[in-house]
Parts: sequence; C-alpha cells; structure tokens
Amino acid sequence: MTSSERTRAEIHVRGAKKSFSGRTVVDVDELVLGDSAVEGLLGPNGAGKTTLMRMIMHSIPLDEGTVTLHKRDGSTITLSELPPHQMVSNGVVKSTQVVSDFDQLTILDSLLLALATPGDESPIRWKAERELAKKHEEEIRHQLDRFGFGNPNEVAGSAGEKKLLDIVRCLLLKPDVLLLDEPTAGLPDDITQLVMSAVRELALGGTSVVIVEHDLEVIWELCDEVTFMAEGRVLMKSDPETIRNNSLVVEKYLGADHA
Amino acid sequence: MLDWLDAFLISGLFGVVQIIGLGLLVHLQMGLTRVANFGVAGFWGLGLYVFGILYGKVDWPFGDPWQFLVCAIAATAASALAGLFVAWLISDLDVDGALVGTLGFATVIFLLATAWSDLTGGAAGLGGLGFPYDAGPAKTNEFIWFVLTTAIVAGILAYVLWVHRSPYGRLLIAVGTNEPLARSLGKSSTRAKLTLFTITSGMMGLLGVMQAVMFRFIIPANVTINITLAALAGLILGGITRAWGAVVGVLFTVALFDIVIQFYVPLPQEWYTQAIPVAREAIFGLALVLVLLFRPKGMLGEMKRPQLMRRIHDFK
Repeated sequence: MTSSERTRAEIHVRGAKKSFSGRTVVDVDELVLGDSAVEGLLGPNGAGKTTLMRMIMHSIPLDEGTVTLHKRDGSTITLSELPPHQMVSNGVVKSTQVVSDFDQLTILDSLLLALATPGDESPIRWKAERELAKKHEEEIRHQLDRFGFGNPNEVAGSAGEKKLLDIVRCLLLKPDVLLLDEPTAGLPDDITQLVMSAVRELALGGTSVVIVEHDLEVIWELCDEVTFMAEGRVLMKSDPETIRNNSLVVEKYLGADHA
Repeated sequence: MLDWLDAFLISGLFGVVQIIGLGLLVHLQMGLTRVANFGVAGFWGLGLYVFGILYGKVDWPFGDPWQFLVCAIAATAASALAGLFVAWLISDLDVDGALVGTLGFATVIFLLATAWSDLTGGAAGLGGLGFPYDAGPAKTNEFIWFVLTTAIVAGILAYVLWVHRSPYGRLLIAVGTNEPLARSLGKSSTRAKLTLFTITSGMMGLLGVMQAVMFRFIIPANVTINITLAALAGLILGGITRAWGAVVGVLFTVALFDIVIQFYVPLPQEWYTQAIPVAREAIFGLALVLVLLFRPKGMLGEMKRPQLMRRIHDFK
C-alpha cells in the first residue's frame, strides 16, 4: 500500500448546509465517515440524519459546502458535483429509508437489475439475460438462501420483504461505502440478525458502512463508532459506550431511563 | 395472379399493420418506460415527409433501389434524431409535460407539412413517389410492399418480445415504475429514455417511409393526430404493458372497423365520406372509455412478469 492509499474509503463532509423554507436542516462543519468499519449516525427525529445522507448521495443539492469521496486507491472525487446515478459506479450506495420497490418486477428481477452493468443493458445485446443470470447464479442463490426469500419469481409482497430486498440489492452492488437508512425498520428479529451479520461481513471485506437506525441495540452491537447529531449539527463522535453514557446524548435523545 | 385479393383489402391490411407497428413502439415508450408520447404522428410523419422530399425533389445520380435505400435511411435517421431531441426536452417532465411536449412536436410537423409548401407541396400534396421495384401491375407491387411492411412490423414485434426478456427491458420497467430507486442503483434513467426514444422514433420514421411508398402521395392530412389516437386506442384496449397488447388491441379496433365492418358489412355508399370516419373515432373513443372503466389494464390484463421469469430462469 502506498502512502496515499487507505484501508477503507472515506466520505468527507465540509461546510455542508441545507435549508428548507428558511429553516436550516443540516449545518455540518466537518465530518469524516468511513474511518471505522461500521459507523452509526444517531439523533432524534429532525436531527438532519436522513437529509445529510441524501446530501451525500446528491439526491438533494447542497446549499453550501462539499462532499468528497476518498477512495482506497488514494484518489478523490467530489460527490456533490456528480449526478445521483454516478454514485454507484464510484462505489457509494445507499438504501432507501421508506419502503420502496419496483411494482412490476419480481425478486429475481430486482437482484438481476442490481447486478446488470450498462453493457448488459444495451438495447441490442441479444444474449445478455442468460449470460447475466449464469455469471451471477451462485451469488444470487447465496443471497436468496441466506435471507430465505420465498419464491424469487414472485413480486415482493410485504413491506418487510421489500425492505429486505432493498438491502440485498445494495449488498450485491459491492459498495466501497454503504449508507443504510433505518435498514431494519419493520423487519422481524431473526431477519434483523441476518442483516446485521451480512453488514458485518461486508465491513470485514473492506466496505465502510454508515447506519442511521432508531433500533439502538443495532447501533450498540454493530457499530465501531457513533456520530451524534441534533438540530442539524454534529455534536459528537466517539465509540458506542462513550456516546451511550454521554450526558448530552442522554438529555437530547436517549432519556434518563435508557438501559 | 392476386385476382382473389381486393386492392382495398391490401390497403386496409397495410393500415392495420402500420398501426400495430406504431402501437408496439408506443408500448415500449409508455407501457414499459412510462414516458408519455402523444406525438406519434410527428415522428411517423417526419419519416414520411423527409423520405418524400428526398425521393421526389432531389435529383439523385443513381436510381432505385439505391435511391430508395438512401432516402429511407436518411428519413429514419431524421426521425431518430428528432426522437433524441424531443426525449432530451421531456426526459425530466412528468406525464402531463411529456404529453404536451410530444403533442407540440407533432403539431409542428403538421404545420410545417402544411405551410412549407415549396418543399412539402402544402395542402396540394407531394407526389412523384414510387416503388423501388417493378413487379408488374400496381396491385402486385402493393401486395409485395404490404408483405415487406408486415415483415418489418414482425421484426418490431420480435424486438419487443426480446426486450421483455432482456436486462434492457428490465431497466426500462425499473425506470418506468420507480425512477429514483433505479437511479439509486446506478441506472442512468435519462440515458435509458433518450436511447429508447431515439430507437423507437427512428422505427416510427421507417414506418412512415413505408407509408409514403405504398400510397405514392403525401398530404398533411396523413400526419394528423388520428394515427396517434388509433395506435394509442389499440394499445390501451389490448393492454399497454403487454407485448401483444398492441396486436390484440389494434385487431379489435382498427382491423375490426376498417376491414371487417367497412369491407364486409354492406353500408350505404354515402356513409363513407362523412359518417364512417366520424363513427370510427367515436367507436374507438367509446371502446377506450369502456375498457378504462371495466378493465383498466386492457384485454390482456397486467404485465405477467412472474410467469415470464419462470420460463426464462430456473431459480426456485
């Protein structure tokens, strides 16, 4: 590894501001995400966590500031200048906060969609479908078996199944940075454990994972580091134990009777 | 030869095949990608007129079939480029915006066809066109042209069926059903729409070329909204999301009315000038209303993706 290379990709947020109707929703001076394998983003409702995630993905534009990606090979890309669809090709992937799916597509369709490259999706590549399925057969079977999807040839039915499918699509993209926005909301406990296990596995492989989650057990168990936000600002960043016992966090978010 | 075949029947069947072809292309745009197109007549008409002008007004140093081929390729390319341009304009608009934008394009083509009379012949029309071969009597030439056009439309149908079974089709459906989610997976929805519109508009232009040769004479009345309505009515009636929707729908509208009723039902001669064309549009409109009320997904119903995926793949 040369001096400029790093073990994980990092996202640097500098001077990022976003206001809606005159109200500042995000105002982050300096934040580095990805310096730990799994990082949590914690804060009360309205803290600006989801808005910050969307600003990182450039699905909403910044009023001020920049978001840059520092890749493992040492190169740097300004994410806040890229169109949203170019995030994936640069290794940055985000799950959706609300349940979202493609109405007409089956579960298998969804997985193949995530795996297909622009070359596979050429309007004149005649044998692309079978080649695509054959190339990724093992990977698809692994994910289908791991998460216990019923019939991959059916459209995802329940909200939980759609949520899980969203996460699996993200996993299949093999991101350098994965942003998960409330990934286990609505999932049963056993599936939540499977998702956490998959996230750990991904992080071990070198992916930087950032999780926004209201299920605090997920944050305490999974994260190496936690950033606490309130009223659009980053108030502190530390290990889970320190955050958990910090009086400010207790006052603004956890409450005095938290476990 | 071909004594058994009436010239009117060839012309009627040719019209049915044309509308099926246009309906199939609109299916890719509206049924899969959900990009509204109310300007079918514009892309089709552009191919028709560019071919007519190039073939009839330019003094080419070579004759047919090269003259036809060069003019047909140029006309197809012109429609494809127009499709690219219009798609670029409407790619970020909602359904209403896309409808108005494409309708506006078709209106511009109609107005140019009418007003630019030096080039298009205006209301008097543009002639001087002919078949790129001579197989004998006009009816024989027309029949051969009908077969060629049918082959092209069969090719379009085969392409549509392939699209449904390909990653490209999946991309179009993804963009159509949830564009933000598709973008979050790294899909360029804008590029998908632009590529689709370029290809499908080019094919609409080629169908316009086939029309120009078949009737050897072009007038602005050819490129009114009627052809758009016929394609849309057939497609929606058959099932806008189904590959065979346009085929079934057009057979139950255009074919049923323009061939079965007009050709085989004995109607008073005086009805053909006024009453029948008006009744045709009224019946198409009524059929659309009834379908949208009682079977909004069309005769073939909704997209049957699970069945298709089971046929292609053996994942269980």
